Amino acid sequence: MANSNLPRRIIKETQRLLSEPAPGISASPSEENMRYFNVMILGPSQSPYEGGVFKLELFLPEEYPMAAPKLGRICLDILKDKWSPALQIRTVLLSIQALLSAPNPDDPLSENIAKHWKANETEAVETAKEWTHLYASGE
Amino acid sequence: MDSEDNMDDFSYEYEYEYDDDDDDDDGNGVYNEDSNETTTIHRKKYIVLNKDDIQQRQEDDITKISSLLSITRVSATILLLHYKWSVNKLQDDWFADEEKVRTAAGLFEKPIVHYQSSNKVTCAICFEEYTRSRMPAAGCGHLFCVSCWNSYISTSIKDGSGCLMLRCPDPPCGATVGEDMINRLVSEDGKEKYSRYFIGSYVEGNQTMKWCPGAGCGYAVELAVDTESYDVSCNCTFSFCWNCTEDAHRPVDCSTVSKWTLKNKDESENVNWILANSKACPKCKRPIQKNQGCSHMTCRYPCKFQFCWLCLSDWSNHPTCNRYDGTGKNKEIERKRKMAKKLLDRYSHYYERWAANHSSRKKAIVDLNIMQTEHMENLSNKQCTPETQLTFITDAWLQIIECRRVLKWTYAYGYYLPEDEDVKRQLFEFLQGQAESGLERLHECAEKDLQVYLNAEHIKGFDAFRIKLAGLTRVTKDYFENLVQALENGLSDVDTDRWWSCTHCTYFNQMSAADCKMCILPRIIPQ
Ligand SMILES: [Zn+2]
Ligand SMILES: [Zn+2]
Ligand SMILES: [Zn+2]
Ligand SMILES: [Zn+2]
Ligand SMILES: [Zn+2]
Ligand SMILES: [Zn+2]
Ligand SMILES: [Zn+2]
Repeated sequence: MANSNLPRRIIKETQRLLSEPAPGISASPSEENMRYFNVMILGPSQSPYEGGVFKLELFLPEEYPMAAPKLGRICLDILKDKWSPALQIRTVLLSIQALLSAPNPDDPLSENIAKHWKANETEAVETAKEWTHLYASGE
Repeated sequence: MDSEDNMDDFSYEYEYEYDDDDDDDDGNGVYNEDSNETTTIHRKKYIVLNKDDIQQRQEDDITKISSLLSITRVSATILLLHYKWSVNKLQDDWFADEEKVRTAAGLFEKPIVHYQSSNKVTCAICFEEYTRSRMPAAGCGHLFCVSCWNSYISTSIKDGSGCLMLRCPDPPCGATVGEDMINRLVSEDGKEKYSRYFIGSYVEGNQTMKWCPGAGCGYAVELAVDTESYDVSCNCTFSFCWNCTEDAHRPVDCSTVSKWTLKNKDESENVNWILANSKACPKCKRPIQKNQGCSHMTCRYPCKFQFCWLCLSDWSNHPTCNRYDGTGKNKEIERKRKMAKKLLDRYSHYYERWAANHSSRKKAIVDLNIMQTEHMENLSNKQCTPETQLTFITDAWLQIIECRRVLKWTYAYGYYLPEDEDVKRQLFEFLQGQAESGLERLHECAEKDLQVYLNAEHIKGFDAFRIKLAGLTRVTKDYFENLVQALENGLSDVDTDRWWSCTHCTYFNQMSAADCKMCILPRIIPQ
């Protein structure tokens, strides 16, 4: 099984993520594939995403940590050219949390949100709040 | 008319030297700029550099910077890579603000991290513990294990030339990983790749240097600063324009080449226009272009369907066709179609000849190769002549290859020559025609006349053949050099007073020649 030859680093990172989770962030490996994580990040308070929970899927490629974790369509410099093997899953998730509290229209978390954001900031805040309500509140 | 004088000027000598010794390092780039008449100016236009030459220059720069700034060679290398090998800019900046240069280049004066006295340190990448003394660090002092360093550097080398400015894995640190670390921590394979990027950085950082675009060629070509000509010939035998890196294209300039290349690509669209304006046979659907006046069309064999060009209906039950479509509109379409056809015909004329010389040149390159690898030895045996005395054959082929190239580009030149400049055009076509027939003569002699001597032993006349081929090579060379110059000058200084056409063979001679260079018969001036 793929999990049997998991590098020590991934095992240690996983243990720490489970035993000392960062506030507002939960990340748990899937049972079938230990390189596959289900992530939930609480919308930071006083942000347009407050009250929502963001669900993400994170995957550690074969080359990890020499290559960055894969995180769907999320735009983060540390997931691209700024990645360093000295960074960790925890660092990545904290960066996303920070991005949610201060969305940067030039570094779009989601293309769609960013488009709205640039066009009309107040309207975008409303949209984001709505979306949080619609899609991100717990099932 | 002093014809003796002229015979000296042009005697058929087969030992005239070809100024082209390739092996000599510094002699490379000595180019016979102007072999016109009596003045022969040797001017260095460019230098071909191999890997070792470039490495030597890098070594020299590193030594210079290291002693000037009193820093290690590794540090000097980091700075030079950051400054793209601009020694002067680096020096200026360094003495203006050393701290700023150090920060920008990631060159630390001393480590910024110090670990607790404990003997064991956890590697921040693999989370394993190691003995401290066995963990390398860049100038910053951030320790990682050997295996993680190896993966880190190797991954970066695989990603491209960015590895030359690789920084410490600790994210905000920014210390540059020096060449010493690469040599210590990476496999031979990785080192080799790194070294290629390293050498490349010197060529790419240098404004006067470019890689030869020849397939698989590892030479770089450095252009002399004051040269106006960009055609260079690499040691790999590939000739190219240093400026636009297309195949060498004297006598036309770079912008003409790019226009022409674009045109050749676009022309497929023009062909499309014709297609769009031809019609498909209503029965068999093959495209039909109207090439006769009347509208009664008959499709090609085997279809032979007869139809009306205008409405595409069967001709037999079709007495007239002008019911509602005003004929004026049809005339306009017809006029446009004719115009497009005419333009296309003109273009095709030049393109076909351009392409023919292009492929003829390619064939000549292949032929030269076959000659050298297969026939030379055989010919030497058959004609009892040492191979060293057969170089006139190689010279002839090299000349053919060069002339095909020039002739090819004269067709792009002709295409863009303004149509209303009648005198120029006439002169151009005359010069081009002469060049072409001269080259055909040479090409035929090298190709066909030689066959006899390849097939039979000890035939008489080999010496005569030698004289003929060497002579043709030389005349053709002279002619093409003059042609290139004349065209590059926009035909401005070519007035007919400077040329005369031989009444015996029509060859176009310079006014200074009393006898025809092609047939050696004296000039006859019509009374
Ligand atoms: Zn560091
Ligand atoms: Zn390690
Ligand atoms: Zn080359
Ligand atoms: Zn060019
Ligand atoms: Zn047909
Ligand atoms: Zn009709
Ligand atoms: Zn003649």
